[in-house]
Amino acid sequence: MILIHKILITFTLLFSASIPTSAYSKQIIADLSKSNITITSGFHGVDLLLFGAVEGKPGDDILVVISGPPTDIAQRRKANRAGIWINVETNVWQEVPSLYTILTTSPINKIAKPETLFKLGIGAENMKLKLANRPELTKSGLVPKKLIAALKQNMNNLDLWSKDIGGVVVTKNVLFRAEVHLPANILSGAYDVRVLQFRDGIAISEDNTNLLIGKGGLSAKIYNFAHEHSALYGIFAILFAVASGWLAATAFRRA
Amino acid sequence: MHIGIIIGLGGAVGFLSGLFGVGGGFLMTPLLIFFGIPPAVAVATEANQIVASSVSGVLAHMRRANVDFKMGSILLVGGVFGSSIGVMLFAFLREAGQIDLVIKLSYVFFLGMIGFLMLLESLRAIMRTRRPGNHKTKLHQHNWLHGLPLKMRFRRSKLYISALLPLAIGAFVGILAAIMGVGGGFIMVPAMIYLLGMPTSVVVGTSLFQIIFVTANVTFLQSVQTQTVDFVLAGLLLLGAVIGAQFGTRAGVLLRGEQLRGLLALMVLAVSIKMGFDLVIRPEHLFSVELLK
Repeated sequence: MILIHKILITFTLLFSASIPTSAYSKQIIADLSKSNITITSGFHGVDLLLFGAVEGKPGDDILVVISGPPTDIAQRRKANRAGIWINVETNVWQEVPSLYTILTTSPINKIAKPETLFKLGIGAENMKLKLANRPELTKSGLVPKKLIAALKQNMNNLDLWSKDIGGVVVTKNVLFRAEVHLPANILSGAYDVRVLQFRDGIAISEDNTNLLIGKGGLSAKIYNFAHEHSALYGIFAILFAVASGWLAATAFRRA
Repeated sequence: MHIGIIIGLGGAVGFLSGLFGVGGGFLMTPLLIFFGIPPAVAVATEANQIVASSVSGVLAHMRRANVDFKMGSILLVGGVFGSSIGVMLFAFLREAGQIDLVIKLSYVFFLGMIGFLMLLESLRAIMRTRRPGNHKTKLHQHNWLHGLPLKMRFRRSKLYISALLPLAIGAFVGILAAIMGVGGGFIMVPAMIYLLGMPTSVVVGTSLFQIIFVTANVTFLQSVQTQTVDFVLAGLLLLGAVIGAQFGTRAGVLLRGEQLRGLLALMVLAVSIKMGFDLVIRPEHLFSVELLK
């Protein structure tokens, strides 16, 4: 596999270097070792290699953003009531990325100013976060900072919104690679991968690629069956249990 | 979750259930939640597994004619009714974000109570065997419960009591079974002995018989309403549990009855206390998130 990567990288490099710089050419080109991933039963997450070529200078930085399909998220707050900790408040975030991974060559504050990142729409701080249950707060832009910070913290604990500073490694200012780990709890759907090259705090080049995560194999069939024919699924689950219970009893009666 | 861990969990709980002669739902559901399975999936899937383990248990008791089918049928009518209410309650609480709290409170309260009573009982039994004496106990104690209408004769249990009593017990345990993800044997068995006055020989078989139908009902309703039944997970747990139970049963022969009950009581209390701590100790993160997709 590694050999194939190396050949691919070499080809990409030769290809990009042989074409004279035009308005359409990019200074940065990236690809993934796998662009189609199937979640099957026993899925423990996946390790990918993001690699590419760049026309770089010493001091350049590369920043990668991988964002997953949007989802609604219920956020609950616990408080102490009569000695026990119970959920007292629920807020629903609308259409937030289910995964948001940032990989960089250097600390983010050294790569670009917050305003630059804001314009590029990079970072959890610059997501358009909407509260479904409190539209008035969303409109007035007064969504409590505490809620946003807690959301970031929770998603980070789930490995869904993570940062890997130094995760992108550049070799001789032309090749770069980053090991990407996607956790087991990712959703299926289309993932966007943005790869940006920064020089002196400005994004000078960008490449985009996609990653498709699908549900496959037996687990996908079972999942669809459970959701589309739920009554049949229930009856099947019961019959399955009765049959295996009977089987267990007879097997050990003889033993 | 890794397949090996799932089968291992099944095996460990199966060992304990073989050792103590209990269903093990009250251990498995908290363990699944502890290992990060969402409570809704844990409860519904465990119901599915209990169908299987009760079927295999009841077959053994049927061979020894230890099942009172008439009493079991009355209990299961109540149980199906109660568990249907339980599943609705479950869906409502889940929507309100309070299902974890109610599951934990139920565990703390009911396991705590049962564990405490069992511990007292087995301590007394241990004391008694050390100081042998003459102990006569009445077969039945008559009280107001025997004055209820709709009296029925239960030949196998040698009882003539109101059908309302087993109906009510069945319904109550059914609600608990649906919410806690257990078969409810740990409440049903004492209720049968102390409230109904059934002979101990038929208690376990009859309890298992009705648990099949109550947990089958929960499995069906959860499949339709919440799609939280995972029969693959249930099957893997069962595989481990069946094997573990064989070893547990063999190990159980080495211990005396009252010692076994004492140990079981301590384990029941430990689960209850663990759940209680989770509720009173300040959580590390006051906020939690749930992806709604």
